[in-house]
Amino acid sequence: MKLSYIAARKKSAFTQELQLLLSFFTITLLMLFLTYAFLLFKNYTFVHDKNAKLMEKSDVIASIDKMKVQIEFIEKQKALSEKVYTKNTVLKDSIGNLFDLVPMRITLSRAELLHNGLILYGITPNKDVYNFMLEAPLRSIFHRTYSSFYPTQNGWLRFVSTNYIDNEELLDEE
Amino acid sequence: MKSNISRQHIYLISASLVLFIFVLIFSFIVLIPEGKEYRIKRVDLKKVSKELREYKSFYEDTHNTYKDLQSKNRRIITAFDGVFNPYRFEKQHKQYFSALSVSELKLSSSDKDFAIYEVNTTSEINSPTSFYDFLDAVNKSDWIIGINFPINFKRDGELIKSSFTMKVYCNNKETNTSASESEAK
Repeated sequence: MKLSYIAARKKSAFTQELQLLLSFFTITLLMLFLTYAFLLFKNYTFVHDKNAKLMEKSDVIASIDKMKVQIEFIEKQKALSEKVYTKNTVLKDSIGNLFDLVPMRITLSRAELLHNGLILYGITPNKDVYNFMLEAPLRSIFHRTYSSFYPTQNGWLRFVSTNYIDNEELLDEE
Repeated sequence: MKSNISRQHIYLISASLVLFIFVLIFSFIVLIPEGKEYRIKRVDLKKVSKELREYKSFYEDTHNTYKDLQSKNRRIITAFDGVFNPYRFEKQHKQYFSALSVSELKLSSSDKDFAIYEVNTTSEINSPTSFYDFLDAVNKSDWIIGINFPINFKRDGELIKSSFTMKVYCNNKETNTSASESEAK
């Protein structure tokens, strides 16, 4: 009987082929699951980012709407103030024109500026001076002019001149 | 006929086939739909991001317009927001009159945006020029004031007695405080 002096090689279940196969399996499955995990993570972050951006967008839209309302209101204030200032300036010019209209020979004692007219009280040396120097320009401005005279003790005439603009024209101006 | 393939090799080939089938099934059932969803969501996010950028740019433009308008009309905004004070008004404008008296403020009308108050004024002036100067000064005062009809002038010796109504325009505080809020900011 022949005997070997070399010790018997230990046999392993993990042969080289099996190790290669397991490595291949592991790498393949790892790649698959990592790709899947990557996709899941990215999809989650996309949804999260989208929701955050949508919320930010609605905030920005709300801010824009609020600012638009404020802009509109400031423009309303500006328009109203300009209207008021213009009316004051026109009023100043109108009063200036009124006093310029009165000739030196006629003295005013009272003037009432109404929304649609003008009432003047004063003294004139005679009717002709009044008619030519005051009533004529008043007639060119107002639609209806009425005058009445009362004699004074010194021979002059006290007059009341009532002048009106028709309502249609005032409505057009407004 | 005896096959050359060992039993071990048959196991290996079988295991490889199982893996191959698993990879195919997993890819088609899970991975590819998830990938499609990934693409859709990425495009969706890009679209939302683009929209947000556009809105932000529009917000910047609107904000600049608003700030510009606010700085150009600061005096008017403050004037509308201010409460009319008859004593301060008298103090500021008495230089144009020999005597000036302002009545208490009275609500005339109000709408959604503005409230209009009326003030009756009686005064004495030396000449009409003083009244013109007063009208100029009213346009630069701390409030938005419109001089309203009827205006009466009556000679009284060397002076002219005048009486008129002023309309003071204010923000309607009950319905609109946006301008004042923005001013505070």
